Amino acid sequence: MDSLTKLWLSTGLANFELGQVVMMLVGCGLLYLAIARNFEPLLLLPMGFGAILTNIPVAGFSEVGGLLHYIYYAGIDTGIFPLIIFMGVGAMTDFGALIANPKTLLLGAAAQFGIFATLFGAIALNYVPGIEFTLKDASAIAIIGGADGPTAIFLASKLAPDLLGAIAVAAYSYMALVPIIQPPIMRALTTEAERKIEMAQLRHVTKIEKIIFPLGVLMMTIFFLPAATPLVGMFCLGNLMREVGVVDRLSSTAQNELINITTIFLGLGVGSKLSAEDFLNVETIGILLLGAVAFSIGTASGVIMAKIMNKFSKDPINPLIGAAGVSAVPMAARVANKLGLEANPHNFLLMHAMGPNVAGVLGSAVAAGVLLALVG
Amino acid sequence: MDNMQQQFLEAGTLMLAGMVFVFVFLSMLIIFINTVLAKLAIRFPDPIVKPSSRANKKSKSNSKNHGDISPGVVAAISGAVKRYRAQHGQDK
Repeated sequence: MDSLTKLWLSTGLANFELGQVVMMLVGCGLLYLAIARNFEPLLLLPMGFGAILTNIPVAGFSEVGGLLHYIYYAGIDTGIFPLIIFMGVGAMTDFGALIANPKTLLLGAAAQFGIFATLFGAIALNYVPGIEFTLKDASAIAIIGGADGPTAIFLASKLAPDLLGAIAVAAYSYMALVPIIQPPIMRALTTEAERKIEMAQLRHVTKIEKIIFPLGVLMMTIFFLPAATPLVGMFCLGNLMREVGVVDRLSSTAQNELINITTIFLGLGVGSKLSAEDFLNVETIGILLLGAVAFSIGTASGVIMAKIMNKFSKDPINPLIGAAGVSAVPMAARVANKLGLEANPHNFLLMHAMGPNVAGVLGSAVAAGVLLALVG
Repeated sequence: MDNMQQQFLEAGTLMLAGMVFVFVFLSMLIIFINTVLAKLAIRFPDPIVKPSSRANKKSKSNSKNHGDISPGVVAAISGAVKRYRAQHGQDK
């Protein structure tokens, strides 16, 4: 009888707490979004599964000695995984459209307003009882507006590790929701005539430009914002490997095998942060809310900046491409292209929108660097 | 309340400093692209002839290694060209 009781006490059923069950359901919800809705499945699938694993009673996945504990501390707490992913993203990024039309960097800069405006929102939420965000927490939440998963995880792991789970879930869910969040804002802020604007064809960009560009970006970051060099440095390394043409094997590894392996571990590690005590509170709701606000403000400021530039530029600029300034590569650029085609079937904006799109990646890395330097 | 005001002030400063910095940084990048990269592009344009000669060499070596493939490819291409010309002629 004694051993039977012991056996019963070692089962999951006897040890379940309500919070764990709820978090497992959250994990299943993430799996559903990934599998049935195709929402950023590469990350949400391991993340959802990690959430289920970490909430298993008795097994202790996220306690000292557990697999997820080590994955988290080896890769996310140290910041290594997001940086490796950033190198892979660099190796996948073609800066050609940006170099051909450098003005679009301003759109990438304007869209970062979403990040800094959300800082205010996060602080304002302190009026709600039960929510207490420090400036560090607020900065980590605000970076969701950068629409850049690895950057958000990197910054959150440095500034507010307790909020990392909620921030990562918000960042990746909203990135998947870009085609739903952005179009209404873009339509509201532009006229039909503006959406019809066709842009001049981009010039040819030479190989030497593409090789020198990442080196130049790195040099400028070293001089003016060393706090951003982990992110920008790895990004530029990946991009240089892509463009030089002599290390195709490394470039291919960075943008395929390495980024895939890291994504599995990153997802599991983030999932391990989805425990009941960290996730089931009012703050999470606040974070999810602020994330949507950050995205919307970023989109709006990008479009408004593009409208202003269109007034003063000699070459016409379609304001829709401003919305692509909130990184989320390449989804945001595709959305701009789709809306452009709706207004004018001959209006192919994809390449033009890729400029502000990749500028947004640089912009959010720079914004993350500023936040790290001033708040971290 | 004072604490909140203090935090708002800090957030405001951060917003101003952050936005100014992001704009200044990316504007400098624009200048970099428009000066340094543009000059480099003019000074070192992409070689136009070289790649094609390389490609020729490659195809020659290919034809040496796999002598039977090359005539097949040639036949396919010339067939396609003939068909295209025939169609083109009909269109006109």
